Amino acid sequence: MAKEDDVKEKEQPSHDPSRRKFLKGVGIAGAGAALVDKWSLEIEAKEKRPPASLSGTVSLTLNINGENRTASVEPRTTLLSTLRDYLEPAITGPKLVCDVGTCGACTVLLDGKPAYSCLVLAVDATNRKITTVEGLGTPEHPNAVQAAFVEHDALMCGFCTPGFVTTISAYLKENPNPSLAEVREACKGNFCRCGTYPRVFEAALAAAKSGKTV
Amino acid sequence: MQQAPAKKKKKVKVPRVINGIETMVEIEVDEDSGPGWGPNDKHTLLNHRITRVDGPLKVTGAAKYTYDQRLPGMLYARILRSPHAHAQVKSLNTEEAAKIPGVKAIIAGPLTEVRFAGAPVAAVAATTPEAASDALRAIKVQYEVLPHVVHATDAIRPGAAKVVDEPNESNLQQKNKNGDPAKAEAAFATADAIVDAEYISPRIHHACLETHGMVVDYRGGDAATVYASTQGTFTIPEDAAKELELPQSNVTAIVQHMGGGFGSKFGIGTEGMLACRLSKQSKAPVKLMMTRYDEFVMAGNRSGSWQKLKAGVKKDGTIVALQARQYRLGGIGEGSQAGQPYIYRMGDTYREVFALHTNEDSSIAMRAPGHPQASFAVESLMDELAYKIKMDPVEFRKKNLRDVVYHRQLDRGAREIGWANRNPVAGGSPGPMKRGMGCAVGTWGGGGNNQCKVDVTISRDGSVLVAVGTQDLGTGTRTFTRAIVAEEFGLQVNDVREEIGSSKLGGANSSGGSTTAASLSPSVKDGAIKARLLFSEKVAPLLDNAKPEEITFSGGNVIAKGKTITWKQACAALPAAGVIGHGEWRQDLQASGIHGAAFAEVEVDIETGHIRPIKLVHVQDGGLPLNRLTLESQINGGMIQSLGMALWEGRVMDAQLGLQLNPGFGDYKLPGALEMPELVPIIDDDDKREAVIGIAEGCIIPALGAVVNAVFNACGVRARELPITPDKILMGLTST
Repeated sequence: MAKEDDVKEKEQPSHDPSRRKFLKGVGIAGAGAALVDKWSLEIEAKEKRPPASLSGTVSLTLNINGENRTASVEPRTTLLSTLRDYLEPAITGPKLVCDVGTCGACTVLLDGKPAYSCLVLAVDATNRKITTVEGLGTPEHPNAVQAAFVEHDALMCGFCTPGFVTTISAYLKENPNPSLAEVREACKGNFCRCGTYPRVFEAALAAAKSGKTV
Repeated sequence: MQQAPAKKKKKVKVPRVINGIETMVEIEVDEDSGPGWGPNDKHTLLNHRITRVDGPLKVTGAAKYTYDQRLPGMLYARILRSPHAHAQVKSLNTEEAAKIPGVKAIIAGPLTEVRFAGAPVAAVAATTPEAASDALRAIKVQYEVLPHVVHATDAIRPGAAKVVDEPNESNLQQKNKNGDPAKAEAAFATADAIVDAEYISPRIHHACLETHGMVVDYRGGDAATVYASTQGTFTIPEDAAKELELPQSNVTAIVQHMGGGFGSKFGIGTEGMLACRLSKQSKAPVKLMMTRYDEFVMAGNRSGSWQKLKAGVKKDGTIVALQARQYRLGGIGEGSQAGQPYIYRMGDTYREVFALHTNEDSSIAMRAPGHPQASFAVESLMDELAYKIKMDPVEFRKKNLRDVVYHRQLDRGAREIGWANRNPVAGGSPGPMKRGMGCAVGTWGGGGNNQCKVDVTISRDGSVLVAVGTQDLGTGTRTFTRAIVAEEFGLQVNDVREEIGSSKLGGANSSGGSTTAASLSPSVKDGAIKARLLFSEKVAPLLDNAKPEEITFSGGNVIAKGKTITWKQACAALPAAGVIGHGEWRQDLQASGIHGAAFAEVEVDIETGHIRPIKLVHVQDGGLPLNRLTLESQINGGMIQSLGMALWEGRVMDAQLGLQLNPGFGDYKLPGALEMPELVPIIDDDDKREAVIGIAEGCIIPALGAVVNAVFNACGVRARELPITPDKILMGLTST
């Protein structure tokens, strides 16, 4: 099912969420906003099909944080919605903020690479290893990035935090000793509204220096 | 009924800021009120760097927000919105929608006439989010479309469409006027230079990452629980109870963690009203979290501004006159804007303030309502005047600010940014990449009120609980609440547990106007002092019957008369129910009136018009800093949101369609990781007030003006309309 998409996803660098890669791929990253407008209009147009064509559910098994979990969802259900609205018990670390791939709050890892889970259909995520922020550490045993986020106060309301933690955790595996510029680049697909960026950067660099497991 | 004896009062002197001047005033406090905070540099936990206590939950996804609630049998609700900026709803056909499997309830919206695109016309609840969205698409609405106007400049043209179609409702409404117009006019004759300019700022979106909404857990019984994303736990039960037709005391509001409010989340709102009605109709829990589109078109916004300012200045830097015409652009709402000349002395002043209505949703409070708009205009004006008379902008500000706190903050900020190295000639540096610096100042209140009732309980096993119904917006409320109690008893922050975010706990005020810290912390301190007194009486027998004032608490020990016992040993002497201190607000533990100064350095590429912020500095006072770590984070956040207003953010409306053109993060540009300048948050420790003051709003105000002025210093383009997008720089360069 949807093998081509799977291959595309795997080719992406870990810190470059799919939409941006797509824009670069067609060589007009500078005109990104206009293109995304067009793109979201197309999605909207598709969604306006008569409801009759959208019925039915499929049962699927997803490998999440090392466990096989089953859910029954519609083919159109996103991985994000599956985690939050269909799994029992729910996985709510990845947040629903924009639902159209613009903010990064729903970032999860697919086979270790970051992806916006609002842009991935659940049916396309079977046979992938899915890791959410819950799979990276626990309040008692946080990973190095999570610990550094607390230490450096890299969060305020905390709603963007799971996305940043997930993105940076994956990035540090790829590049264990990044520069500040590289950390910024890695975070470009995640938005924060409270204004935690400087301390997110600090935390990422501190986590890298700590030598602890990400 | 017996009257309680009047409490004996005593007079104490405390520092206050009155009319911008720091001064000592006498206030009355209860004679038996406990000790104060003590000197700001003598704390063991407060005024230190304390990591936030809910951090571990938030970084691992374990923190449950309203959006994360999922209850058995819960329905998902969605709101259908008007695609027209002004229309009558003629009919609403829900027949097809009701047939969709999983749809459990459909209700018509509260309005028959919609005055902005995005107004709710119906709401549905269904067993899945998908079914709810399908149902919205299946509802058929007939509208009679009416004329609309969405641009302020169009709204005051003769014959413009009327936002409110009533004989006495004009689009332009005068709200107030101050000063003597003839005197101001005459004073211009004494000026050596005059600046006459218009400043425009667009509407700004709060863009809370957690959208507005709630989960109403009502199943047809006599009680309900409402999980709400709100800044006011206690603003929920009354309105929800009305909609559910339940006694208010049977409705509990829960707010454990919330994903941003910035002034936009008080009360249940229209979405809460709809959620309650859907829940009541379906007798099932209903989750209604707004979509991101909903959030842009109807969660409120910071009002836009259009300000016509004319000021006259003498060569020596004295401003002699100001005329101001201020339009508040609040859509169907009133908007807000601080009155000019904001915090400056400008001689003879005259201002007129108007609300200018358009067919857009109502603006609502946003972090320092009305202040960034006023600050942007007056700080731009100040800069224009300074350049006109060739006076250093920092010195020019000092000349027209009589409050000396600003003077020291301006000096501090100037040192930090390297003001002395600035090229005083606008656009004067060689090459296409132009660097420049600018500055601005701002003010806020930040005092508290007496709504917080705090219980501090010490149990026989040594555990300590501080309980109050307040909410933590990400400002660190949980953390300082614990820290105040821990410090009182010589314990560590994690020795104390806090319970907050429930309307069943002690009362608390809403988090608006930066009032939380100054309302809550005195009550927490008072509760801790009272618990300490009760505790001391109980443990006295273990310490040679020491008097309470002889007992000290330090390093997890209780010490008196040369004896030291551990906290646990001491607690074993408590009665089974432990001891409870009931904390009330104390006016003497808080204050109001803060100052901030911001400096910015930017680089402007005059070939592309692109602006790169290099560095921002913000110096902020605020009495006793409860927690330096989280306070610096708030200052950073203020600078970043201010920067967003200067360079990127703004709602864009289409005049013909009456629709917002950028209702999403793809087009509404928030500050992002790649644009972040170096940020220097500075806590002004020269403020020696031993009092807690809220600073959240103060620190969003001045960076905006500093950035705008830095852009002018860099390239010589005076951007009088925000945000300063590259086109404005290029157009400006063409015309200079």
